[in-house]
Amino acid sequence: MTESATTPVDGSAASDGVTTGSRSGDAATEVLAVDVRDVSQRFHAGRPNEVHALDHIDLTAEPGEFITLIGPSGCGKSTLLRIIAALVDPTDGEVSVHGKTADQARIDQDYGMAFQKAGLFDWRTVAKNIELPLELMGWSKPDRTAKAREMLELVRLDEFVEHYPAELSGGMQQRVAIARSLAFDPSLLLMDEPFGALDEMTREHMQDQLLRIWTETETTIVFVTHSVPEAVYLSTRVVVMSPRPGRIAAEIPIDLGARSAETRDDPAFFDAVTEVRRALRAVEG
Amino acid sequence: MTLSEPATHDTDERDAVDTVDPVVHEQLLAAAAARDDRRAVVTSAARRIVVFAVFVALLGLLYVAYKQLGQAIDDRQRDWPLVGSLAPRTDDLTMPPLGDIVTVFGEPAPGNDPGTFGSHLLGRSLFTLREAAVGFAAGVAIGLGIAILLAWKKQLADAFLPYVVASQTIPLIAIAPIVVIWGRKNLDFLPFEWQDWMSVSIIATYLTFFPVAVNGLRGLLSPREEHLELMDSYAASWRASLWRLRLPASVPYLFAALKIAATASIVGAIVGEISAGVEGGLGRRILGDALNYTVAPARLYGSVIAAAILGIAVFLVIVGAERAVLHRQRREIVT
Repeated sequence: MTESATTPVDGSAASDGVTTGSRSGDAATEVLAVDVRDVSQRFHAGRPNEVHALDHIDLTAEPGEFITLIGPSGCGKSTLLRIIAALVDPTDGEVSVHGKTADQARIDQDYGMAFQKAGLFDWRTVAKNIELPLELMGWSKPDRTAKAREMLELVRLDEFVEHYPAELSGGMQQRVAIARSLAFDPSLLLMDEPFGALDEMTREHMQDQLLRIWTETETTIVFVTHSVPEAVYLSTRVVVMSPRPGRIAAEIPIDLGARSAETRDDPAFFDAVTEVRRALRAVEG
Repeated sequence: MTLSEPATHDTDERDAVDTVDPVVHEQLLAAAAARDDRRAVVTSAARRIVVFAVFVALLGLLYVAYKQLGQAIDDRQRDWPLVGSLAPRTDDLTMPPLGDIVTVFGEPAPGNDPGTFGSHLLGRSLFTLREAAVGFAAGVAIGLGIAILLAWKKQLADAFLPYVVASQTIPLIAIAPIVVIWGRKNLDFLPFEWQDWMSVSIIATYLTFFPVAVNGLRGLLSPREEHLELMDSYAASWRASLWRLRLPASVPYLFAALKIAATASIVGAIVGEISAGVEGGLGRRILGDALNYTVAPARLYGSVIAAAILGIAVFLVIVGAERAVLHRQRREIVT
């Protein structure tokens, strides 16, 4: 077990700027990790069951940011994530990821994605699950094996290389899924309520591990969640969305410094939680 | 423990357990589950063998008891409501003594086979097994091919699935002679000489491909939304998805189909031999024993038992393969 439970954002000597906000040195010179411009989404347009899911969404993420999308059920936050991932085509508007179109970014494997359900392949061992994207990208076998090992060490599951998913608990499966999404070192990580199904203990533990990984790998993360404390604890910016049609109601920067177990008891943490709650209550009316 | 306590890794693993660290706790649970699992496999196999032996013994006992009952109440001379009327009579012609059925395997074989009836049946079974195995292999390949084709485009499934189903409404006995004649007359372009048993294999194929095609299609369409989205997020081609997601996902469904197909291929081979008039296998043996029933009734029982054993054997081979492949993945489907 691990030191990271207490000091997720350790190694601060290596990365001093980590503690607050974006890690990007000079944002102006860097290409945005995610740039969503005026995106609207209607499902079944023109039919009686038309759903107006998203309405004129503008959202950007600097490289190295940790952004959470939060909002009531059905506000389209998962849809927005899928639009960024180019799994869903927006009805209107444009999305670019690292300066490319979202679809090109998908084809180039610029992002990793983790879903609410771990979605591991039952017939593959833990290591083989992590190797899946690498196989599709044509990595050699020794490279894949080495990378899977490294990833399993990152999520502290290196003893379970040869286990099948059915032999792991839900929390462990979710960690494998996160390892899989990180295996090819994507510069962007899209996560759709990945800890939604976990119990509170495991969830907090996973949050700390994710923050540690975020620090170590310097990825940009866009994270969808239902939980206000989770959003505040994890992110550098909380994006609050209104119910259908989903709009961005507020963007709340979070400045809590390096997270640790103490952060969860910090008055500043509670202040931020309250601020996000108020914004949520305002949109729910 | 709470997360505010610093967890340390430099202590012994056992010490860490006491603090119920979530990760270590999970690891222990998983390891224990795996151990229980292996033990369960061994005991369940032993239990099945015992249950099967008891079942066979009970069947024999029931046979003897029923025969005894019929003899005691003299079902030949008097009308009884069940024994000898609705249920079979118990005379030695209808129900040969159990001893005769057991010893028939040791008696000399019919015709010019110098061995015992038992070894004769073994040879016949192997002949039928060859027909069935070739038919099974071809049927699985064709069935899987159809399943992949139909899974590829929904329109293809909509258009052709009804014909796949309709194919099974044609009685086997009707097509068998046609296949044999067709094979003899038309397949002279093949690099090898066409033999009649191969026609029987085609008949077995006809029964085999169907469950594989239908169940295979279900399996290929079984991946869940999160799996399809994952492959999409990797920009995987249809072929890559087929190979890495759809085919592996269909394996439990395929095993369910293979169990049906394996026994169906034996049935197909036996029925095919009988109706196509192909000599050498169990089918013709059963037909011959039926014709000679009044002379040697126990032989027909022997042949039928051999056919049953053959069917059970191929079924168990598939079950064994299924266990070996799927057990640890916990993906076995109850059929």
